[in-house]
Amino acid sequence: MDNSDGPSVEGPAFAEKVREAEEATDLLQRHNWDFKASPKVYALQATCDVAAKEIILIHDGEIQTRIGRLVMLGAGTVFNLMGPESARSIFKDTGSHAFDEVNRQLGSRGLHDVPAFERFARAQEVTFYNHTAFYQLRDLVFWSILHGGGLFPSGFAKFAQEIASGKIIHNALFTPAIRSKDTARPVSMAATCLSVSFPTSVVEWMEKPIYGGMVTETIHIVNLLTPRPTTVSHPYLPLTGEGKVSLNHHPYYLRRFVGVSPKDGLRGPGVAPEGPQTKLE
Amino acid sequence: MSLEYTATPDRATFDLYVRGSVPPELAGALIVPTSRRSKDRAAYSRWHDSQTDLMRLDVTPGKPGRIRVHVLGVDSTAADLPARYRSGEHAVRAYGARTHRGYATQPNHGVNVAGQTLWATNLLFGAPVEVDVSRWEVRRVLAYLEPNELAPRLSATSHFAWSLDRRTAYFHESLLQCETPGDTVRAAELSIIEVDAASGAERIWRLRPPPEDADLAAANFHSTFYFEEGGRPHLGLLRTGALLEHLAPHSEPVDHAVCPMPASTIWVVALDPSREVLQAQLLPGIRELDALAISHLDIDASSRDGFVLFANFKHADVAEDTHGPNIYDERPEVIAEHYPGMTVEPLNIGLVIRYERRAGQTSVRRFQRAYDPDQASRGHSWLPINIDLEPAGRHLFCTFAGFRPRLLSRHIAAAYPERVIDPGQIRYVPPLLMRFDARTLEPDIDKGRGHLSYTEPIAMTVIGDARASYVCTFSPEFGLRIYEAGDLSHMICHAVSPQLMHWRDGHFRPEPAHIGFVPS
Repeated sequence: MDNSDGPSVEGPAFAEKVREAEEATDLLQRHNWDFKASPKVYALQATCDVAAKEIILIHDGEIQTRIGRLVMLGAGTVFNLMGPESARSIFKDTGSHAFDEVNRQLGSRGLHDVPAFERFARAQEVTFYNHTAFYQLRDLVFWSILHGGGLFPSGFAKFAQEIASGKIIHNALFTPAIRSKDTARPVSMAATCLSVSFPTSVVEWMEKPIYGGMVTETIHIVNLLTPRPTTVSHPYLPLTGEGKVSLNHHPYYLRRFVGVSPKDGLRGPGVAPEGPQTKLE
Repeated sequence: MSLEYTATPDRATFDLYVRGSVPPELAGALIVPTSRRSKDRAAYSRWHDSQTDLMRLDVTPGKPGRIRVHVLGVDSTAADLPARYRSGEHAVRAYGARTHRGYATQPNHGVNVAGQTLWATNLLFGAPVEVDVSRWEVRRVLAYLEPNELAPRLSATSHFAWSLDRRTAYFHESLLQCETPGDTVRAAELSIIEVDAASGAERIWRLRPPPEDADLAAANFHSTFYFEEGGRPHLGLLRTGALLEHLAPHSEPVDHAVCPMPASTIWVVALDPSREVLQAQLLPGIRELDALAISHLDIDASSRDGFVLFANFKHADVAEDTHGPNIYDERPEVIAEHYPGMTVEPLNIGLVIRYERRAGQTSVRRFQRAYDPDQASRGHSWLPINIDLEPAGRHLFCTFAGFRPRLLSRHIAAAYPERVIDPGQIRYVPPLLMRFDARTLEPDIDKGRGHLSYTEPIAMTVIGDARASYVCTFSPEFGLRIYEAGDLSHMICHAVSPQLMHWRDGHFRPEPAHIGFVPS
């Protein structure tokens, strides 16, 4: 997730930006997607990370529906959230009803039950908008250049791998009302809930997010809801509770996993992110 | 309605969810040795000694095809086998208080296959275990030496050598002597084992080290290879050079002095059935590379007079495991990705070589490359793991585990001040699968980036024939991926299951290093 200013112009000036982004994309593709060919594709600075996730994952044996409520930390004006998803995904903006219902039945305050979450707790609400999907590397690179968000080579490589496996890259923007430009004092943002459904016969957990420069770990609450009992466990989060809940008049068996996971691509303290011919001090 | 998710983790057989298609060339089974450990990152658990589970993925071609997993837990004490295979009292004492039953085998690393027989091996400790692939049960432990009070454990080659007709397997086995005050663990009774894959007939030779490489503290051999020269069969042994300060796992995972490994070498032995003791010689030009931890290989010895050897050096202290503060002086408790007792990170960039020997003449090509984010299509050589020549022999496929700087232990780095990377000058390096031109050892650069794939699992094998071949990678977390060998940006199959990610009371860490294929 990168800081993205978005196109600040319209009309012929925007058409010019589109042409420039197209030329830069062509240049990169001709050079095997090596960022050296067009350094403008680099993200200027990593300024946003998902700090915490509360997830409800409903699996009926054929369809998996994941409802997510994210808390992000960022310094900047406009941000975008990118993630690989099944090509057959159906995305919906949704309310917090599912979380309210499950937490009410469990006597839980959700992420507020986790002591480590307290430093992110005073979050302002943000809404995802301008949802897009990238089907090929060209789409991803073109959009990133056009909107000034940019990419990092390691993150690009990860997305390239996901696209090769037949996934799409889902992308959405969000912007906080109260902003910070100081990376040492980022703002905390709680996003409106988003639901994604796709067909699969097995539970498919989300992959670890890539480090965006703000927080090295993600706090998770994952609720797995199934119509029949299951003992499937999360790959790295501990099981903290089991029970039965009712959601939208359907009874479900619940397994709850709570914990912290590291992000992918972590670097040492004080080490600069990837950049055009970056010299590390 | 399929309800695969309701399967219990204790069920040893389950299906993967398959997307894409499985090509006919993959009809058979894929074998993956795994390590299992507690999810509790606070618990120290040396991966060498972890619980081993062998996975067999039965592959049925089609669109989408079917991939069914069978898990076989291996009892490291061999208590499920006849008494002659179990550990003696010496091994029990060497292993300390962690188990009262000893330690006979720990096959969590290598895959060696002949027909329906699998010999699975450890990276450093324990004897190979023999498994009947079709019945999916352990037959025996291949321990040919008798441990004693002073030398209570065994070490064996992870990756066997094969005669050109693949009827005969060769590997090394030796005892490991306990450390003494001021001295490290040492190998003893170095032996070469020959096994006829069809009849099971065996022969054992004692092995005498080359006079100029006679330190038995470093005499461990991760891989071996077979070749013929002057009409005689020979064996090459990759002398890895791991130096163990202690035979037993640490009682406390704290900083300790690390004895630096010497540069790796390759020993060459002429196999002579008329002798009981074979004299090894050094293969010229390898020690001079001054590289650490030579590990894996593939070879073309089909000419019957010399060979072309592809081998890699990890440049990592493979005798150690992860624990203690990292190179940034951060405590392990604050590093969420840290598991104490895991495989170590490299000290610096690894090395791949192409060594050709014909009619007494040798030539060496090297591939050693830093990761340049600006030119990521050039690849890198950080922590090379698998090395696999495609059936047609034109291309070489390699996996590289990359580098996670926060997982490099401070006390290990301190032992190599001349070799270790500057912590302030290095970032995360992503894992990589890359295709090389086997003749030049240069990346086989493809305009569509079809010559490489980043963030790929390190367990990899190439399957097929001279007409069509496929690259498979696997990890429990990312599942099985199948690519056309000619285009690594074109995945044709992806198969996953949450049951790969969690097993009984633990999960599979570190991720498996190798995967082997048994055609049906």
